[in-house]
Amino acid sequence: MSMIDSLLAGLSLVSNVYAFLALFGGIIIGVIGGAIPGMSATMAVALTLPFTFALQPITGILLLLGVYKGGIFGGSIPAILIKTPGTPASSATILDGYPLAEKGEAGRALGMALWASCTADLISNLALILFAGWLASFALSFGPPEFFALILFSLTIIAGVSGDSLLRGALSALMGLLLATIGLDLVYGTNRFTFGSPNMMGGLNFIAVLIGLFAIPEIIAMVWNPTAHIGKTRKLGKNWVTFEDYKNSFKSIVRGSFIGVFLGSIPGIGAAPSAFLSYSEARRKSPNKKNFGKGEIEGVAAAEAGNNGVAGATLIPLLALGVPGDVITAIILGAFMIHGLQPGPMMFVLNVDIIYGLFIGLIVSSIFLFLVGSVAIRGFKYVADVPKRILIPGVLVLCIFGVFAVNNNIFDVGVMFAMGWLGYFMMRNSIPAAPFLIAFILGPLLEDNFRQSMLMSGTDFTILFRGPITWFFWAATIITIIAIVRSTIAGRVKTTPQ
Amino acid sequence: MTAKTIHLRLGLLACAISLFLIFFAIPYWVSSPSNVGKVVLSPLFWPYTISALTGLVGILLFIEWWRTPPTDERINEPSDDTRTAMLRLLGMAVIMVLTMMLLPVLGMVWTCMLSFISTAFLVRTRHPVTAVICAVVIPLLLYVFFAHVAGVAIPQGDFVRLP
Amino acid sequence: MKMKLLGALGTMALALTASTAYAEYPERPINMVIPYGAGGATDISARTIAEPLGTAVGKPLVMSNVTGAGGATGSVVVQNAKPDGYTMLFARVGSHSVSPAMKDTLPYTLDDFRFVTVYEINPVACAVSPSSGINSMDELIAKVNEGGVSYSSSGVGSLLHLAGAMVLNEYGVEDPLTAATHIPQKGGGEAATAVLNGTATFICTNTSALASFVANGQLKPILVTTAEPVAGFDAPTSADEGKPALEKLVGWTGIAGPADLPDDVAAKWGEWMGQAAGDQNFVDQMTKRGSVINVMTPEDANTFIQEQYESFRALVDELGMRIKG
Repeated sequence: MSMIDSLLAGLSLVSNVYAFLALFGGIIIGVIGGAIPGMSATMAVALTLPFTFALQPITGILLLLGVYKGGIFGGSIPAILIKTPGTPASSATILDGYPLAEKGEAGRALGMALWASCTADLISNLALILFAGWLASFALSFGPPEFFALILFSLTIIAGVSGDSLLRGALSALMGLLLATIGLDLVYGTNRFTFGSPNMMGGLNFIAVLIGLFAIPEIIAMVWNPTAHIGKTRKLGKNWVTFEDYKNSFKSIVRGSFIGVFLGSIPGIGAAPSAFLSYSEARRKSPNKKNFGKGEIEGVAAAEAGNNGVAGATLIPLLALGVPGDVITAIILGAFMIHGLQPGPMMFVLNVDIIYGLFIGLIVSSIFLFLVGSVAIRGFKYVADVPKRILIPGVLVLCIFGVFAVNNNIFDVGVMFAMGWLGYFMMRNSIPAAPFLIAFILGPLLEDNFRQSMLMSGTDFTILFRGPITWFFWAATIITIIAIVRSTIAGRVKTTPQ
Repeated sequence: MTAKTIHLRLGLLACAISLFLIFFAIPYWVSSPSNVGKVVLSPLFWPYTISALTGLVGILLFIEWWRTPPTDERINEPSDDTRTAMLRLLGMAVIMVLTMMLLPVLGMVWTCMLSFISTAFLVRTRHPVTAVICAVVIPLLLYVFFAHVAGVAIPQGDFVRLP
Repeated sequence: MKMKLLGALGTMALALTASTAYAEYPERPINMVIPYGAGGATDISARTIAEPLGTAVGKPLVMSNVTGAGGATGSVVVQNAKPDGYTMLFARVGSHSVSPAMKDTLPYTLDDFRFVTVYEINPVACAVSPSSGINSMDELIAKVNEGGVSYSSSGVGSLLHLAGAMVLNEYGVEDPLTAATHIPQKGGGEAATAVLNGTATFICTNTSALASFVANGQLKPILVTTAEPVAGFDAPTSADEGKPALEKLVGWTGIAGPADLPDDVAAKWGEWMGQAAGDQNFVDQMTKRGSVINVMTPEDANTFIQEQYESFRALVDELGMRIKG
């Protein structure tokens, strides 16, 4: 079958109202679900799954994809408005989105988040359609040694989100690494810092840590000084994002999209590291470096481009190899299987009409996302007008419900509170929270892949340098570290009057 | 508090954490089977690495403190009244502990109502009536959403169960 | 959804005042704990049976994924729950026969649960990557004796972990723990990927987890542990190979409550399961994924699990796989 035939076959599959309705409805569910902290895109997708059983395969899968894409964008809404990421992928959006909201420019930040999300989404979908086969075979060449090198490189992002002191950033990252060791050991199954508690054996829940670290310190800070916000304008603001903003951030958006496509096509990394990497790259390249973290619109654009760039690309290993890249794609894989479809190389031969139907649906989804997102921003803007001392207890209650719902476990609410006090301590001592979070995500991956490499080779370290991919990331890591050290020393010479 | 004093405090803290981990926490709270062949594969290897790095960062923070010239630039605007502010922090901590204790007994909805009201009054809200109304309505709305739309088994207490 | 909501609101006033003392079980929704994550084998199985089962029960079943520690976190929730039949567990082979057999550190034992049924059996298959050049178990064993063979699993104490060692042991490999390297991964999907990309040599896991890779020609099955062949898996069975002991090596999903679950509640569940498993739609969906539907009575389920546990435990002690401390 030629490409044209496949396209036509795909078109005939999706050319009914229901497929598009499902996609549109999915995006609405996703945006709302993503906007509720703790609900997250993952849970929204899991909840929608049973409804797809009765639908046509293509309609059902488009519904789930809609929820996924909507959810990733929806997460940025509470991240910007109340400093609580609705979905882990949007934690990088907080860094500049919340300061913008504090300055009374929430509308501008939300608008930019939407524009960047849709652009990145489109690029990601195009990458899926054009390079799926190629990127999938590339993803398969990632074994533990390659992952180790990639993650080591990704940890250099920490320098980009450390703010004004690299040392405090490093300390924050080390605390993240340390807390991530709680749980059962991967290789031997023994206890590490679990104190015999079955709740601790599973490790600290990521979302509980995330919300605890960002949202709860805001609450405690308000308790410390209940009137600090008075006199500051904190409204959605008349300011809307302008085409000028978009043009200025366009390079960062495209760069972030490609970072997202790259990390998304490799199973197991996920959207949050991609958003942080995109953010720190944007900061590194920007002339307004100093303003990042204090309300720079380009930071919001980069972070959102980074996480939405992942959304289309995670389908690459899913469709081409049958390998899910994260929990959400694992659920979508379940939906394929329930309909008797088996993603993998053969699907491109046997069910090529479904593949092309999905491609067409995905392209349309970027446009739908823009429409739904614009409406959602207008709907949620009233949050910014709620008196802060009513909003804060509301956020507390919302976080309690949301964090419980993630894993149906009251213990996680306790983890969130404890993390809140740690986060507040860090806030008071100007220790940035973002490095902690990145280390908490990447630390276990780094350790696991290191030990898996050692198991593979019988503790022969040369396996960590076994091929061009590892060499590339080792080189990139060394170059980045040299650049960081040089700029730190240069900065010190400037500030030290000796 | 200036950047200089922060560096001193954090340096001390990092060193203390590092020593505590290396000499106490890891030997006692991380178990490792006796038949581990290679050091790099041991469950202890990674925690020790992190602890050592923490110590290193602590020492570097010390050096940073040593080298930073004293400035008057202050971080964190002080609260008007530190004593009452501290009391309020303590109050928040008590609210959190009580919330955790009451959650399994009263159920999530009733506990959250209490947490909402107490937090709102702790931050001296200017809208007490609105606060009370919100305290009742918001947890109920969240309950209806999570329990009946999202299908989550929100914890119910031993006393009054919601449908 | 809307109906459910309206109904819920309508009954709110009633429920608040209704007396609970004489009501018949179940008089409110039942919380079903799934100790593994969304999208996994247990989750899909649980959510598939939830539909016919909910109809049989007559009250909603609320599905709660409580993940962590290889199923232990969720299992403990049910272990500590009130034995009133309103908190039940979807137990799985990993959490309730391999882990108890292997881990001294586990916060529960089999005696902490009362099984009301086992409803699904999943055959286990071993597979290798076609590019490995291995075509049969004998060739794999030959490679093991040369050295450098590894197998992947979804973690310590999982079915996959035990299965790899058990199969090698059955084929006469001396000291399988050192002859082949166990490379644990973070989950079942990752374990299969590890064989795809050459990180590990082989994997032994449920056929449902391998089906799509086998259909796509990405993995090559070399053994099925059931006596009967499995559709879509062109590989010798344990009967063909003359290894009947491997028939113990199957996955299963069942439902359990806390140890003190009253008899009448357990009996109710037996009834409901009989009705639910008769649902043709459910049977079709499960068999399509390679499961065998076989609803056991509470007594049969207990014997079945106990037997599997004993044989696993004997193997663990023989090979020295027990996890202490």
